[in-house]
Amino acid sequence: MSAPVILALMSFCFLFFGYLGVPVPFSLMAGVFVGATLADVSLAAIIQKIFDGVDSEALLAIPFFLLVGELMSSANVVVRIANLSLSLVGHIRGGLSQVVVVFSMFFSEMSGSTTADVAVMSRALGGPMKREGYSPAFIAAIIASASTIAALVPPSITAVVYGAVGNVSIAGLFMAGVVPGLMIGFGLMIYCYFFGPSGMRKPRAPFRQVAFATADAALPLMIPVILLGGILTGWFTPTEAGVVAVVWIIAVVIPALNRGHFRKIPYDFCLAGLIFSLPLITIGAANAFGWMLAYLRGAIVIADWITSIAGNDPQYMMLLLVLLFTIVGDFIEPVPTIIIFMPLVNALTQAGDINGVHMGVVLIATLAFGLITPPYGLVLLMASKFVGVSFGKALRAALPIYVVFLVTICFTIYFPKVVLWLPKQVIPESVGCFKSPAGTGYICPN
Amino acid sequence: MTIADKLVLQRQQHLKWRSFDRLELVLMIVCGLLCFGFSLSVMFDIITRTVGHPWLWLQEVTSTLFIYAIFIGAAVATRRNDHLYLTGISESLHGTPRLIVEIAIRLVVLAVASCLIWYGYLNYLRGFGSFRLPSGTPIASLYAVIPLSGALIALFTVEQLVNGISKGFDHPEPPEEDFAIPPIDAGAPMGPLP
Repeated sequence: MSAPVILALMSFCFLFFGYLGVPVPFSLMAGVFVGATLADVSLAAIIQKIFDGVDSEALLAIPFFLLVGELMSSANVVVRIANLSLSLVGHIRGGLSQVVVVFSMFFSEMSGSTTADVAVMSRALGGPMKREGYSPAFIAAIIASASTIAALVPPSITAVVYGAVGNVSIAGLFMAGVVPGLMIGFGLMIYCYFFGPSGMRKPRAPFRQVAFATADAALPLMIPVILLGGILTGWFTPTEAGVVAVVWIIAVVIPALNRGHFRKIPYDFCLAGLIFSLPLITIGAANAFGWMLAYLRGAIVIADWITSIAGNDPQYMMLLLVLLFTIVGDFIEPVPTIIIFMPLVNALTQAGDINGVHMGVVLIATLAFGLITPPYGLVLLMASKFVGVSFGKALRAALPIYVVFLVTICFTIYFPKVVLWLPKQVIPESVGCFKSPAGTGYICPN
Repeated sequence: MTIADKLVLQRQQHLKWRSFDRLELVLMIVCGLLCFGFSLSVMFDIITRTVGHPWLWLQEVTSTLFIYAIFIGAAVATRRNDHLYLTGISESLHGTPRLIVEIAIRLVVLAVASCLIWYGYLNYLRGFGSFRLPSGTPIASLYAVIPLSGALIALFTVEQLVNGISKGFDHPEPPEEDFAIPPIDAGAPMGPLP
């Protein structure tokens, strides 16, 4: 049987089983096992690839970031972040929808997980927004859109996976994700100001109240400082920064702010031990799927097809890849998408002489967009479920917000110097710069 | 409700044997211990490195606990139906179509679990020929978790299959309330903005 037919069968099996209701990792494995049997590849080799997919030091950061999110959510310190956001922007037109966006910009820097963000925001802010008369469809749309920021800004789990699998600097991806993350955040605030519901009028919080709310949230707000500070100063790897943040929460934040939560910490560990295995077993299965795609030369065929259209124009190449990822991201989650298509991404990064961090941040922004597009916009699905509105209605409310994402993705593609400015200043090596032989400064590729 | 009670998921009881609740509890506790274990080993790794006396074997301990946690977590998630799903088509069906789809789903999972058991076991046997550094432990000690995870996945899938066929898959579930985040106090509004 020819390679394209086997690839088509593998993909069909994965999507068919997946949409039938088989859990994603098992539908991926079923597709790979079918493909491997037809291609005469030993199934023991496939098991080895599943194992290799998770046997990575960089992926160890994921449980710690998830544990940080879990501890922050269950220790109920999110209320403090929400109060700070409320005191900062609650008086601006749009009211609580502005609060949702600012809350997400803060909380994303602690959790790194879009699904954690959407769950927390729906519970903490969904009810008050309903009481103030916002339509449930708009609430679901704005919460889902704001939670995608977590996929871009540090400590993004999507960036950790991309960096670990694509051999790209995770710290570089974290830094490069700041500009598109802020663009989405401020873009959503502008959208809420001009086009969203006006909300209820609130008085501007006096400076004393803002200062009080900031002091109240100071301890949890140290978490992004620990994570980023540790990584950027070179003291810690992302994994180690994650564990230091966990220690900070257990040793300082919980005793200071919610001492009663101490006896629940074992429960948090048990739950985190379960939750982190879900994306990771999917990573293992997707790694085997991606390996089969490369083995059957599928990645080269798609890469050749893209380069035959785009030539060596890196921007055109990225646009086509964004189109592919938008379509694929509509059906599959970001993590398996990244791993399955990494051989293709690597081939195109080389062919177009594109900076690996730039390519990474463009694709992560695209996959973040895929989280709110039909038919499988995971966070929009979750938000509509939590808020209690049909997916179709939430989708219609989200449609105008897509403009913010499309502008951000295009900006990220066409202005690499702006996107890579921050990593170039903070961690020059992450974007391919090397120390000048003269000993002063760095020499960076154009 | 004690922590132990909260650790065993009360959803979809009609698909479960109560005697396996204890196994779920044990596996959840194992997940927590593994998670705590590798958190501790990474922390000690940082400390020993910072004081200039790194314990190299800590990295080996970390990766062992990490790998075991992934595969055991994946197994217990099968019983709790906590895995990532592309869609929930089956949940919108009723009667015979639902029964057929649910059985088909479990058969696919069972087939995958069988592959994990058998080919994972073959990998485990081969793993005695490779060794991990610096301890020199055969890598089979890591591979052992794959057939173990496969066996647990198969066990939980058979549990769901037998109970689903005898009692039906379609049971109304109460809304989930496992998330302890209260809504914020948004303050007193002054009326709609002009």
